[in-house]
Order: sequence, then structure tokens, then C-alpha cells
Amino acid sequence: MLTELSAYTNRWRRVTPTAKGLFSLCGMIAAFAAGSSRTALLIALMLTAAAIMGAGVPPMRYLRVAAPALLFLVTSALSLLVSLDFGHNYATGVSLHLAGPEMTRIAHVCCRSLACLTALLFLALTTPLPDIISLLRLCKLPDTLLDLMTLCYRTLFVLSEVVHETLTAQSARLGYASVAISLRSLGVLIANLSVQVWQRSQALHLAAVARNNDGALLFLPPDFPHATRSISRAAISGILLIALAVTLP
Amino acid sequence: MHIMEGFLPVKHAIGWSIAAAPFVGYGLHVINKRVKENPEQRMLLGVAAAFTFVLSALKLPSVTGSCSHPTGTGLGAVLFGPTAMAPIGAVVLLFQAILLAHGGLTTLGANIFSMAIVGPFAAAAIFRLAKSVKLAFGLSIFLAASLADLLTYITTSAQLALAFPDPTGGFTASFVKFSAVFAFTQMPLAIIEGLLTVVVMNSLLRFNARELQEMKVTAPETVRA
Repeated sequence: MLTELSAYTNRWRRVTPTAKGLFSLCGMIAAFAAGSSRTALLIALMLTAAAIMGAGVPPMRYLRVAAPALLFLVTSALSLLVSLDFGHNYATGVSLHLAGPEMTRIAHVCCRSLACLTALLFLALTTPLPDIISLLRLCKLPDTLLDLMTLCYRTLFVLSEVVHETLTAQSARLGYASVAISLRSLGVLIANLSVQVWQRSQALHLAAVARNNDGALLFLPPDFPHATRSISRAAISGILLIALAVTLP
Repeated sequence: MHIMEGFLPVKHAIGWSIAAAPFVGYGLHVINKRVKENPEQRMLLGVAAAFTFVLSALKLPSVTGSCSHPTGTGLGAVLFGPTAMAPIGAVVLLFQAILLAHGGLTTLGANIFSMAIVGPFAAAAIFRLAKSVKLAFGLSIFLAASLADLLTYITTSAQLALAFPDPTGGFTASFVKFSAVFAFTQMPLAIIEGLLTVVVMNSLLRFNARELQEMKVTAPETVRA
């Protein structure tokens, strides 16, 4: 996964996730506080610059991660652009027209969404998921939910590998030669995976019991040097971002 | 069917998060009870979350020629129960937002409500209803999976229509518009996911009947038949 690759290799890998989470949160608040499309775009630009120039995320990788979401944003914007008119009664039929007067509002929604997306990407591309989970533990999220996250993270790559290998084996036997065959092959793959879920969870449970595990899955939190300094810097930068969003027209 | 990051106004984002929170909270309470009675369920539900996440990475052949991915809503609800699917869905949607930039953190509440609450509860209710009127097992599964898919997309359309009512036609026109946009891809996908879930369950019944009984999905007599 490209986000994971960036999260583990960026310049700010060893910066405390509290600082990165705080800056990302401030970015989202700034995006919602922005009074115009231009301000929201400026916020998006600054958050992108923070990820690319600050954390050293390669621009092409950033674009590749953002591309599907941007495509989704374009289609969402198109659906807002079209307006339906039922006329005076529903029997006369429905007419489609462009929501011209709403253009400014739609542009604002899209720019706000873009700014929020860059805030999310900043966090996702600079912070590995286990660090985010440890940050959520600090936020006092229930242990059960954190256990689900930990187990999900630790097994999703194993299951992805199983899926990849099975897909290769099925493809080699022309298992995806037509739509009907694809559907059957995919069904068999998911059925096999369902059983593996059950069996692997049993094996994990036995392994945990063998190690006297009797509660939450706790890990030693990683140590981040200069945490206070990083949090202060993130807080100041975040407040400046919000102030910019509030003061600009 | 995910609503993208920052797309909903702040009041709606907070409102849907508040609406989803009790379901996730109750789901966690149910999971805690299940884990106390059967400690191995903790691992099962954690791995089930990974399973649901991996499902969303699989390409589903679509009638329109394009590809999409299964939601796993119906299958998850039948295998693990709808209440457990709320926290599992919350985790999966959070992971999708962070790892794939699919969905978002501000729209997490709205996405949980449509995909991890409405979908699974609808699937479970339809499956039980179909079983109670003695419909065939395969047909019950198909109806549960495809109707849950459809209800999920209807909920997303309603969420978007509430956030962006049409300037002339209001909520209704906006709802019709968003439903029509989604219907183009979601109707065939719902049917395909229904068929896929039937293939999955048939394979499970054929090769792993014991596991299905232990998960309380089927009664022993169903398997013997």
C-alpha cells in the first residue's frame, strides 16, 4: 500500500503522532472555517506543501494516492451541478438543468472537501497505522475497539497475500476468463477466505492463550524524541492555519 | 457508496456521527459479552474486520463493463451478526479512509450509519424474514445481500439529499437525483453481490458445513439437506 510505504519512509516518521494528528485536525477545522473557495484552496495547498516539502513525500506518490479520491470528488461535484425540476406537478415530467446560481456554493463545497482530503492525506502519508492506533489509545477509545483495530491491521496483510496468491492460481487455470466464471471463482475465493478467517482466528486465540493472554492486546508505546517541542510546533502551525482560514475572506 | 472527506456540512457530519455512536457502542457491548462467554470470539471478530477490508480490495465484474468491489455487508451480517458489524464496519471504514483515502474522517459517522448499520441490520432482518417464510436458503441469502446493498445506497442518497437539497425541488428532487446517479452502478452491483454471496455460502455449505453450524448460520438439518 502506497500510504503505508510513505508513512514508514517519510522524514517525519519519528515525529510524535500526537503532533501530526493535531496538525491534521487543525487542517480540517481550517477547511471548514474557510469562508471562500479561494481560502479553502489555499489551505489545501499549504497542507499539501507540508506533506511534500516538510515530510518529504514524493509528489508523484502523493498524486497517485490522491488520484482516486480526486476522481471521486469530480463525480460528486458533477452530481451537485445537475439540478432536477419536477415542474408544478409530477405528471408533467422532470427536467434537468445546470444549477447555475448554486455554482459558488458547489465550488466552495468541493474546495472544502479538497482541503479536508489534503488534511487526511497529511496524516495518512506521514503516520503509520500502529502509531495512529496508539494515538487513539491516548484518546481513551474503548479497548475492544482498539483490539479490533490491532488485529485487523496485523492480519490484513496476511489475508491480502492469501488473496493475491489464490487469484494468481485461479487466473493460471483461466478462472477469470469470462464474467460468469469470474463470479464463480471470486465466490470460491471468498468462501475459502471466510474459512481461513475462522481457522486463523482459532490459531491466534490458541497462541494468545498459550502466552497467558487474558485481556486487551497491549503493546509498549514507541518512544518519540522531542515530543513536547513537536506538539508545540504543530499546535502553533495549526492555530495559524485556522487563523488564516478565519481572517481571509 | 462512501461519502468523501469534507463533503458533508459540519452539522451533518456531527449529526451522523452522533446517530452512529449508540449503535457502535451497543455493538461493542455485545462483543464484550460474546468475548466473555467465548474468548476466541475476540480474535475471530478482529480477523473478520481484516476480511471485510480485504473484500473491498477485490474487483467485482460489473455489467456496465467497469469494475467495483463487494461491500461484504450482507455476508458479514449473516456470518457475524448485525450488532457486531457496527464496530467491525467502523474499523474497516476508518482503515479505508486512512490507508486508501476512500471515505473520510469527517464523514466517518455518515458512512458508518449507511454501510455498517443500515446495511447489516437490513441484511439480517431480510435473512430472518426469508427463513421464517421458508424461502430457499440460496434465495434468502441473495435477497439479504442484494437488498442490503440497495438499502445502503438509498441511505447514502438520503444523507446527500439532506445535506444538499435541490434549490427548486428540495429534498425529494435531490434524493431522486442522487438515487438515479447511484442506481446506474449500484443496481447491477447489488444483483452481482447477491449472486456472489450465494456462491460463497454454497461453497461454505458444501465444504465447511461444520464451521457454518458453529457460527449459527445454519441449523444441522439445513446442512443435511
